[in-house]
Amino acid sequence: MPKHIISGLKYLATIELKKRGYTQQKIAQTLEIDRSTVSHYLNGRNLSWKSIEVAQTITQLIPKDFLMLVDTLLNDNEATRTLVNICKTKTFKTQIKESCIGCGLCVDLCIMKAIKLDDLQAQIDSNWCCGCQICTERCPTKSIIILEVKDDREH
Amino acid sequence: MIANIKQVEDKDFNIKRSAEDERKLSYKDHVCIGCGICAKTCPVEAIELGNIAAIVRTDANISKININEEKCVLCGMCSVGCPVDALDLTIDNVSVSELEMYPKYTSSATIDDETCIYCKACEVACPREAITVSRDLPDRSKLVSGEIEIDDETCVYCGICEELCPAEAIYVTKDPENPEIVVDTDACVYCLVCKRACPMDAIMAACRSCSYGEYDIDPADAVTTGNTFIDDELCVRCGWCEGVCPVDAAKVQKPFEGELLVDEEKCSTCGACIDICPCDVLSFPESTGFGQTSAKIARDQEYCISCGACANICPVEAIEVKRTAINYTPTKSKSWTDKLESLKS
Repeated sequence: MPKHIISGLKYLATIELKKRGYTQQKIAQTLEIDRSTVSHYLNGRNLSWKSIEVAQTITQLIPKDFLMLVDTLLNDNEATRTLVNICKTKTFKTQIKESCIGCGLCVDLCIMKAIKLDDLQAQIDSNWCCGCQICTERCPTKSIIILEVKDDREH
Repeated sequence: MIANIKQVEDKDFNIKRSAEDERKLSYKDHVCIGCGICAKTCPVEAIELGNIAAIVRTDANISKININEEKCVLCGMCSVGCPVDALDLTIDNVSVSELEMYPKYTSSATIDDETCIYCKACEVACPREAITVSRDLPDRSKLVSGEIEIDDETCVYCGICEELCPAEAIYVTKDPENPEIVVDTDACVYCLVCKRACPMDAIMAACRSCSYGEYDIDPADAVTTGNTFIDDELCVRCGWCEGVCPVDAAKVQKPFEGELLVDEEKCSTCGACIDICPCDVLSFPESTGFGQTSAKIARDQEYCISCGACANICPVEAIEVKRTAINYTPTKSKSWTDKLESLKS
């Protein structure tokens, strides 16, 4: 079953990347799947619709659950980052307060590797932020603010 | 799951977090002066100062501070705040004191070997025994010169010269068969005592440095050479070396400026402050005579580093350490600047 869910997610990612104008080859490379599989997905073949439905439901979960579920299913940090970033349905605005002490805990915690330190201040790349809020929960000085941005994108 | 790992070794410990980078905070108890600045700077209240008075006065095998590794976020504020580097945060094995983005006290202690005359005054005065002066003295034989000759015909080998010689440079063998007198010219300082005391006038000696002045002594032969070493780990930049140096070769910049105030009313003369002071600033005053009263605690303000250890340890809150300036390299981070500025009182 986990494999089916992953396939469902990769199907959604394939569709999304196609929308963004990726070639089939580029999609295959990005998602680390065969080109024939990409072709099958794009032609709506070889996948149970139930898997896609489950995958769609997962992408609609609150971001932390979505991320943790994918991370558990894949057990591969790089693949998780890629898939979550493509399939996430929301975008986030991030802000670091001056009270940030640059301890780097958020950098270490961020599964999406969206945070780096610059001059003792955390910096979040909002393109990669998945809104899981793990960093805001653990930040010792409560210096991170992550806000959801209204987004009309649909799968 | 990201979690800190703590390793304890005797009174020292380190706390480590390995993920993107490896952050490691190391604590060395023998360097710690028990001032408690780390506990004040910690943004997550993970540091607790031990019962310093008991630890200092009993040599108890307890660390002066304790850090709760579950609370610690390895930000390094304690490491930067520690005026003596007892705490050091490294990121991928590089100390934050070497990383430009972190602020750093501009404190230092140096001895200029060019100017130093190797008198060892600093070595003796240093309250932390952090200074080692090693020196090579000039060759004594090059600093004294002269001529000495004993007339074997006249000498009766009485041994008066041997007994008088302050340099123990004359050896007399009183063997009736084969008497002998030998002068060790390397040891002889040409003081002429032997010549003056000889009852037979058998000794001819001339002290050249007297008769010809200093002309035949090469000034280079008279120089004491050496080198000085300050153990940065133990040095607290208190300024004793600078204060006692007769040739201004030692230069010290302290991390803080401030003053130390003792409330004579409250002071119970327990002496805890004297025991903890890392700079030998505090002492019980010498008696000035019968019926004379002086201050309860004498203080050498000049050598105070305003660390506040005495104020912390005082059981009756009779001491106040006012820090008026913190000397550090600037940082772009407001939170770090605010934290360092908050050490002022």
